[in-house]
Amino acid sequence: MELFSNLALGFATAASPENLLFCLIGVLLGTLIGVLPGIGATATIAMLLPITFQLEPVSSLIMLAGIYYGAQYGGSTTAILINMPGESSSAVTAIDGYQMARKGRAGAALSIAALGSFFAGTVSTFLVALFAIPLTGIALKFGAAEYFSLMIVGLVSSVALAHGSVVKALAMVSLGLLLGLVGTDIYTGTPRFTLGIREYADGLNFVAVAVGVFGIAEILRNLEGEKTRSVLVQKVSGLWPTRDDFRRMAAPVLRGTAIGSALGILPGGGAILAAFASYTVEKRVSDKPEEFGHGAIAGVAGPESANNAGAQTSFIPLLTLGIPANPVMALMVGAMIIQGIVPGPNVASEQPALFWGIIASMWIGNLMLVVLNLPLIGLWVKLLTIPYYVLFPIIMAFCSIGVYSVNSNVYDLYAVAFFGLAGYLLVKLRCEPAPLLLGFVLGPLLEENLRRAMILSRGDPTTFITRPISATLLLIALAVLVIVFLPSVKAKREEVFQEED
Amino acid sequence: MKTLAFDSTNAICGAVFLILGGFFTYQSLTLDLGTALRMGPGYFPLLLALILMLLGIVVLVQSVRVSGEPLGPIALRGMAFILPAPVFFGLTVRGLGFVPALFFTALIAAFASSRMKPTMALMLAAAITLFSVAVFSYALGLPFQRFGPWVRF
Amino acid sequence: MRRLHLTRRRALAAGLSLAATLALGSPVLAEGFPDRQITMVVPFAAGGSTDVVARIVAQKMSDDLGQQVIVQNVAGAGGNLGADNVARAEPDGYTILMGTVATHALNPLILKSTPYDAEKDFAPISLLVVVPNVLIVNPELPVKTVAELVALLKAEPGKYSYASSGNGTPLHLSGELFKSMAGVEMEHIPYKGAGPALNDVIGNQVPIMFDNLPSSSGHIKTGTLRGLAVTTKERAPSFPEMPTVGESVPGYETYTWNALFAPAGTPPEVVARLNDAANKALADPAVAERMTEFSATIVGSTPEELAAHVKAEIAKWTPVVRDAKIQLD
Repeated sequence: MELFSNLALGFATAASPENLLFCLIGVLLGTLIGVLPGIGATATIAMLLPITFQLEPVSSLIMLAGIYYGAQYGGSTTAILINMPGESSSAVTAIDGYQMARKGRAGAALSIAALGSFFAGTVSTFLVALFAIPLTGIALKFGAAEYFSLMIVGLVSSVALAHGSVVKALAMVSLGLLLGLVGTDIYTGTPRFTLGIREYADGLNFVAVAVGVFGIAEILRNLEGEKTRSVLVQKVSGLWPTRDDFRRMAAPVLRGTAIGSALGILPGGGAILAAFASYTVEKRVSDKPEEFGHGAIAGVAGPESANNAGAQTSFIPLLTLGIPANPVMALMVGAMIIQGIVPGPNVASEQPALFWGIIASMWIGNLMLVVLNLPLIGLWVKLLTIPYYVLFPIIMAFCSIGVYSVNSNVYDLYAVAFFGLAGYLLVKLRCEPAPLLLGFVLGPLLEENLRRAMILSRGDPTTFITRPISATLLLIALAVLVIVFLPSVKAKREEVFQEED
Repeated sequence: MKTLAFDSTNAICGAVFLILGGFFTYQSLTLDLGTALRMGPGYFPLLLALILMLLGIVVLVQSVRVSGEPLGPIALRGMAFILPAPVFFGLTVRGLGFVPALFFTALIAAFASSRMKPTMALMLAAAITLFSVAVFSYALGLPFQRFGPWVRF
Repeated sequence: MRRLHLTRRRALAAGLSLAATLALGSPVLAEGFPDRQITMVVPFAAGGSTDVVARIVAQKMSDDLGQQVIVQNVAGAGGNLGADNVARAEPDGYTILMGTVATHALNPLILKSTPYDAEKDFAPISLLVVVPNVLIVNPELPVKTVAELVALLKAEPGKYSYASSGNGTPLHLSGELFKSMAGVEMEHIPYKGAGPALNDVIGNQVPIMFDNLPSSSGHIKTGTLRGLAVTTKERAPSFPEMPTVGESVPGYETYTWNALFAPAGTPPEVVARLNDAANKALADPAVAERMTEFSATIVGSTPEELAAHVKAEIAKWTPVVRDAKIQLD
């Protein structure tokens, strides 16, 4: 059996004392930077690139991969504790995770996130090992038309993210899409909505927008009723999930893993969509959809599993084609080149120890993360008992450093302040930031692929329904639309009388 | 607020959507629209901006039918100190350098809460700065100048 | 205070250097430089080919200079943001730029307004490497040579598209130059960077592309992509069998280059010290090995040669940009 010999080779490589050490350093660093709000994996890996010059290629890539998925774990921690998502995928975790924390269930939310992620990581690692090569073929069938249709599915699903008014959620998605278009139009080079500021020519920075509309808006909200409370959470009940929690997280974790593994393979936006898609599905299938947005366990377990599964399978295009799915992967390509490895389809055959070693190390790294993070949960939860007037300056300082470290662009910092204000106003107007953020991520992809598909089809719009994968996706979007809207018409009428909240 | 026959929050919200939609519509119209088959840079945003305005109108119209919760207290002090903090960091990180810029950023943010005492704020800012320099500048090696040209003699 | 201090030091240093040059006939290296870390600004995202070249060279330059040369990515506006940052930086040699054909030849020609002057605002340090581009097609496209591709494009004008890493990038211009010199029609499909473009060429969503040789060499070797020709005048040492585009379309030549620049007004002896460190780094066998694997050709130069090179590149691209009618805001 070739797979077993390959996996044996992989584990033999990854389990050497040296590589275990670098894997540990990687996940520790990743967790650290993930927990510090605003600091992303991209900046850290960029800093560490020169160090990898001296290491063995396998060791350096194992370490960089560890930072990447370690940061995913850590990012969820801040999303749950202080509503500060560091990566796009943990924006979804923040919705229900932070609500759980506010109800004193931060410990349970963190454990659920960690356990769900570990399960998803394990399954998807084996998927990578088994199907990396055939799955690549599917990803390559995705052209502009297919991506456009996929984005439509994502947008339609986003309406389900909202727990308030559907109209407002749609408006927030539209606003997010528009904000996502800020920057240079790639087809003509025309700057759009940049107000003449050259620093925004490449668009608004995701971290700046996310930190602003989620984190800073939440800080401001906490500063409102100063007289009444001084800590974020008054009582913390039970660090660990109860038996009932476990029962309720099992199915969402399974579904999240499946969704994340499937969408993670698609380069460019697949992994981002996974967490959002999982949330939509969970809310749809739940028998208590009203709990979502107020601390639903499935709203943490599903997206967290999807996000981690997607993070693992997004290595597939990198490993099999040498094509980076996101900026972190681009850095890993850079690291390979510095090491003299030309990334491409030949890596698996020419460097089997490297290829399978990285895959095996992903599972080992996930195991390390769960072992590291479960005992830390008690400590994280204690953080919540720090008076918030001490916590907020710390958060602001780290945010500033983190946002600046992405591109050394001071205008990103001004964007943080602007979106903090905007996010706060929107919260006051009872609008939710999650659909805005999804729109922001999807906006450029949607337009880019729509226009590319139209150019490629030489202006024939039937391209979206004559290509089978695209047509299937559009049908799914239609189905979601019907399911989401039918019951919501009824809910809407009730809402008119009861109002949101 | 309950005496008013409409939901003031949603009325403001609808108006905000309308204004934002208007802004993007105006900006899109200054761009080349192209055709549906060969879209210009303004085509897609114009479409979205019009949808946003339409939704703004819907929210506005709906707000007349019910009375809702008022806006509630607004964190004016919080806004006055939290929002300028990252702006200050941006303005000074190149000139003053990482260490002083961060110290003052933390200090400004510290005053967002009325519970913060000046000595406590100074100590907190110093502690944050020390920790950050150790972690980001030395351990992670982020490429920031610790002291910038304005303070280097 | 600081201004005065600087100018005095600079005048003194310049005087010393002049005296030393007269006395010894060779430029003396700047005394006391560097006494703190040097920032090398890369005007593109980390992980790209320019970034990789920068990191390999910065590492070796650090060893020689005795101070850390750290790489800072200031990406944005096709390289203009980073270049502009360096143009406006203190001219003391502590902030230098990893410039490219984009920042120092193409952007000033393509953009209606560039915030800096590629020649006047910089003190050239040294040319580093030249990276060939390559004309690649999906293996399902029934062509094996440049001549066959030209024949196919002429037989069905307007049917085929080519991908590039973005509007106004060196790869886009390589395609436009090819179109005008070979007299063929292809629709240009821009992407955000070479990665997604390459992905669509491998998936046969778009059949043709001009790419940097390093990023597609792995695919050419394994046959997931067919390399038709390199764009340099000479064949690439890493692919001796692959012809050049110029062999079929006489006179065709494009390539990407990387070079170090300091802000204008940097003292000549500081520039000389940096030039020396850069050229020593290029001479290092480990660096040479990395660059060869990477399909980059080590060039190296004096500051004067780089100045002349920038002038020649601008002169070369001016008619291309004009004929292709590429003009961005």
